[in-house]
Amino acid sequence: MLIKFVARRLLASVIVVLGVTAVTLTLMDRTRGAYVPGLDLNPALRPEDIARLRADLGLDQPFYQWYLTWLWNVLHGDFGRSMIDGSSVLTHILERLPNTLELTLTAVVIGILLSVPLGVIGALRRGSKTDHALTVFSVAGFAVPQFWLGLMLILVFSVTFEHYGWPWLPSGGVTSPFGGGDIGDRLLHLIMPATVLSFFYLSLWSRFTRSSMLEVLSQDYIRTARAKGMSERRVVYLHGLRNALIPLVTLVGLELPGLVSGGLIVEVVFSWPGLGRLAFERALQYDYTTVMGVVFFVTLLVVAGNLLADVLYAVLDPRIRYA
Amino acid sequence: MIDPGQASALELPAPAIEGGSRRPAQSYWNESWERLRANRIGVFCGALILVLALIAIAAPVFSQFVTHFDPARQHLSDNFRSPGHPYLLGTDELGRDTLTRLIYGGRVTLGVAFLTVALSLTLGTTVGLVAGYYGGWPDDILMRVVDVFLAIPAIFLFILMSILFRPNAITLAAIIASVGWGGVARLVRGEVLSVKQRDFILATRSIGARDLRLIFRHLLPNVLPVLIVAASLGVGQIILIEAALDFLGLGIQPPTASWGNMLTNAESYFFHSGWLVVFPGVTIFVTVLASNLFGNAVRDAFDPRLKTH
Amino acid sequence: MAQPLLEVHDLHTVFATKNGDVKAVDGVSLELNPGETLGIVGESGSGKSVTALSVMRLQRPGKIVGGSVIYKGRDLTKATEGEMREIRGQDIAMIFQDPMTSLNPVFRTGWQVAEPVRLHHGLDRAKAMAVAVSMLGRVGIPTPETRARDYPHQFSGGMRQRAMIAMGLTTTPKVLIADEPTTALDVTIQAQILDLLRHVNRDFGTATILITHNLGVVAGMCERVMVMYAGRVVESGPTVDVFAHPKHPYTWSLLRSIPRLDAERHEPLKPIDGLPPDLIDLPSGCAFHPRCQFKVERCSRDTPVLNRVGETQLAACWVTQSGAELKGA
Repeated sequence: MLIKFVARRLLASVIVVLGVTAVTLTLMDRTRGAYVPGLDLNPALRPEDIARLRADLGLDQPFYQWYLTWLWNVLHGDFGRSMIDGSSVLTHILERLPNTLELTLTAVVIGILLSVPLGVIGALRRGSKTDHALTVFSVAGFAVPQFWLGLMLILVFSVTFEHYGWPWLPSGGVTSPFGGGDIGDRLLHLIMPATVLSFFYLSLWSRFTRSSMLEVLSQDYIRTARAKGMSERRVVYLHGLRNALIPLVTLVGLELPGLVSGGLIVEVVFSWPGLGRLAFERALQYDYTTVMGVVFFVTLLVVAGNLLADVLYAVLDPRIRYA
Repeated sequence: MIDPGQASALELPAPAIEGGSRRPAQSYWNESWERLRANRIGVFCGALILVLALIAIAAPVFSQFVTHFDPARQHLSDNFRSPGHPYLLGTDELGRDTLTRLIYGGRVTLGVAFLTVALSLTLGTTVGLVAGYYGGWPDDILMRVVDVFLAIPAIFLFILMSILFRPNAITLAAIIASVGWGGVARLVRGEVLSVKQRDFILATRSIGARDLRLIFRHLLPNVLPVLIVAASLGVGQIILIEAALDFLGLGIQPPTASWGNMLTNAESYFFHSGWLVVFPGVTIFVTVLASNLFGNAVRDAFDPRLKTH
Repeated sequence: MAQPLLEVHDLHTVFATKNGDVKAVDGVSLELNPGETLGIVGESGSGKSVTALSVMRLQRPGKIVGGSVIYKGRDLTKATEGEMREIRGQDIAMIFQDPMTSLNPVFRTGWQVAEPVRLHHGLDRAKAMAVAVSMLGRVGIPTPETRARDYPHQFSGGMRQRAMIAMGLTTTPKVLIADEPTTALDVTIQAQILDLLRHVNRDFGTATILITHNLGVVAGMCERVMVMYAGRVVESGPTVDVFAHPKHPYTWSLLRSIPRLDAERHEPLKPIDGLPPDLIDLPSGCAFHPRCQFKVERCSRDTPVLNRVGETQLAACWVTQSGAELKGA
């Protein structure tokens, strides 16, 4: 039963990925005529050379042919070459991938580990001062621009702290350029970006957990559990929370694209060498092939993440498994 | 079939004794509006947004009579001034008055935000209504398309589009809406599916109403509350996205001021002129906060079932 | 006569709402003897479920504001939460109306059925499961060993309700409270479940309180019956007597309103006129008087008290207490 479910979701995912390639390539089609801008201005290149270059890159083919060629290449691991220096796009992607994963996964873990207790507390102490404080905190958390939060944190914890001689947090990069590289150093560099990235989701997920908990606690089976003479702790945490967490899994899955998007901004602000920053830097240099490759790859990651979330959901909810 | 003339001749049982509560009946819209008005925080935030919007619209008036500065005018010798007189909130690296730029920036940011919401709602609602109402393969196809757009991390798509189509305010709104409509479509489709099941749709159809009439006169009004809530909650998010894009240099380009692009070079000078980082950020924060709170109030007013207080 | 197992004296439970206090249980008293079956009948909002929940102290967010519930010499309304937890599921068990929503969807059924006996009697997992499986078998679920590993949504409605009953019985409680156990089920399954409850009462000797709005269910199952209206008990007594000669106009109207196969073709149905009262703003005097065809002047002034009317019955009605007979078209 689980296999059937996974197979169905896998098929849907493949269709979505294909759709994404269609969208991105349709957009990119616009630029094929303008590929390699500036080449025309290069006096060392003759018009024939430019034409040959374009033929090499397949820029003079009809759209569908170009699309299929691109797709074929990608399936064989060839994501094309950067238009700036001809290096392999896939190489760049794989170089930066671990950093993005490190950042994103840490943010997700922090987000979940903090949101669930906060949400449960809010639900159990509904209407109390604690609950109101938590609500205010999460409502405010929604409204803070991520990039600005990053800037402010750097301003305080890096620049100001350093100025006053207090121990300060590094403001950029994955590790220190000199003498770093160990776990402690990596952690120091990770704290601020991961906090900024998870901040928004903390607000969202804690509110969601709270309302999910409240809904679950009003269900009949909770009343049954109490009628069986269970301790309130058991009722809330075993019978209640187990049910309340299920929709959270779906929500986290749904928020993956947003997380990755936010990741890009955080990577730029904190000079974090990840996929987002790669896309951004290359975009500014009009390196279309690299940007396209990254967009595709990142979407692939997101779709895979969603699939994982769906599988986890099926594992947690027997109603889906034994439909 | 009973002939109307015969109806009076029928002996119908006497009406039940009045025993119900005596509270007066109200239409759903009236009730919702009442609830909204009773929510003081919501009203305050709604008013705040209105005020901000008015200030933004009347930007030239403000710059003329209140701050006395033009947003693009540079006073190079007066750069990096702290807040004070005559530059109420200080100046930036080119000596432009911060307050004036904030006001003009509000025009851009709020303008883009509202336009985006309008576009996204229009497209999303149409798709959602069609998909939900007709079901079957139109629904499948449309929802796959929505899935595709929702799967791509938005910023990446925006980056791609920004370097392809040089954005001005209007195209920026279109770009942001091109991703946002998906969520609206899903939402609307969900509502339509649940409303479709209700008996009154069946009843309306049984008296011969045509599809289009059903969709617009019966489904749409029932879907409207969800839309209103989504719009109110969405404005805040869109402002954040737009500000982020401007900050990255992919949205509104200088010298046109926008809250986001006022922060683009912040890192380079925020140590000695920290207020330049603080003011635009706080402005964004306050606006988004007000918009979110107003959105919450709207949601609580129009759909009290969701209230978990 | 043996001591009653459970006594409720003048219980008052109130729910606070923004429009006022809802007096869900407004002075209810009852007695349950060992091994007895008592039916509580009433329409929605009459307070029958809240009475049962109050006995178990599960009436939240309502509050018990008066009266007492005596079980084994103790007043349960004054017991600590810890003491109540000992009693719930072990001495007094309760099963609910909708087995689909009353069972936790993410845990296996056998595990849930075994839970009370594991918690209250301290059995280890294997022994508790054995008890659960055996009980599932006894309530009529075929192949209980395999079914115990199924989730609630994999059961049919009737089977689910049987599982709930099994869940209530594993600890061999003295009292079983069944709150509308058949309302959510098909008619044919209803009969099976009632049959099961009868057997349970007979074989285990569990005193049963059956809460329902269906007079037919009461007739088939309960030795004694209690009729509730607007949070108050209006009549009680042996089922046979109450049905044969009801001593309260409400009971009388209820019995009359049941469509009969042997009625004349063109005889109109006889519903009870009017609507149930607003529990925040009850009518003065007798709560039923606005809808009563026997009312006299006193009925709108003084609230009737439950008193003996006839040999075996109690009724809260000025008219019948003064000796009048209930007769009508």
